[in-house]
Amino acid sequence: MTRLFSATLCALLMSAPAFAHHGWGGQEEKISDMTGTVVQGVSLAGPHATMKIKVKNELWDITLAPPARAERAGLKEGLIPVGATVTVRGNRSTEPGRHEMKTIYVKHGAAEYHVYPDRE
Amino acid sequence: MLGEFTRSLGVWSYGVINLVHILGIALLFGAILILDVRLLGAWRQIPLAVLSRPTTTMAQIGFLLAVCSGIPMITVKSTDYIGNPFLLIKFPAIALALLNVWLVHRSPAWQAHRVRDLTQYESRRLAFGASLSLLFWLTAITAGRMIGYW
Repeated sequence: MTRLFSATLCALLMSAPAFAHHGWGGQEEKISDMTGTVVQGVSLAGPHATMKIKVKNELWDITLAPPARAERAGLKEGLIPVGATVTVRGNRSTEPGRHEMKTIYVKHGAAEYHVYPDRE
Repeated sequence: MLGEFTRSLGVWSYGVINLVHILGIALLFGAILILDVRLLGAWRQIPLAVLSRPTTTMAQIGFLLAVCSGIPMITVKSTDYIGNPFLLIKFPAIALALLNVWLVHRSPAWQAHRVRDLTQYESRRLAFGASLSLLFWLTAITAGRMIGYW
């Protein structure tokens, strides 16, 4: 009985479609570029690294990779100062009025940070 | 000291705190499930008094771990969670689950199980508490897991 139940549950779960990790769901398929000034530098706290930039008077939340991955890509806290001009590339939120981008690449001057090279 | 420790973990701190949270929930729910399933009528040959002590202690330890890791996880970026409907399901569900624990533990049936066999009526009362317990904890865990997917 227990074994039958476990086997059924296991089969059901395996037949379900493989869901992607959260975050890229409510984003545009399209990859776009934005250039703006840093309002809040890179933070490596939380489930994902983040920063805030201002693009044409709009404040954008820049969501990066998980902290360890962002750091491996060379993106450390304090490297990009507030006020610096950066270009970010990624998938913007599809939610109207929500200025957020899941970001795969950051360029600051000559420095380039490919946090999700496989998505570029 | 806890703050210093988590900072020393650097980029891994969130992951490690999250790990503690999962371990806490595993302990909490694993222990609760065993006790609740027994109260619902399984493994009647095992005396309830034998099961109730270890499962309650383990659940308490698990709850403590989950709370201690949950507070830093929610405070690190608390504004991100504004408007997340799953939080509004999770915390009331935890409150109801704790209220249920309190009500069951002060019930005459629960007091009696340590010293004598329960009457059929008392067993049914505790089985009702056990089903509420499963409902509330599963709701809290499900809503909690979904927070990051909103």
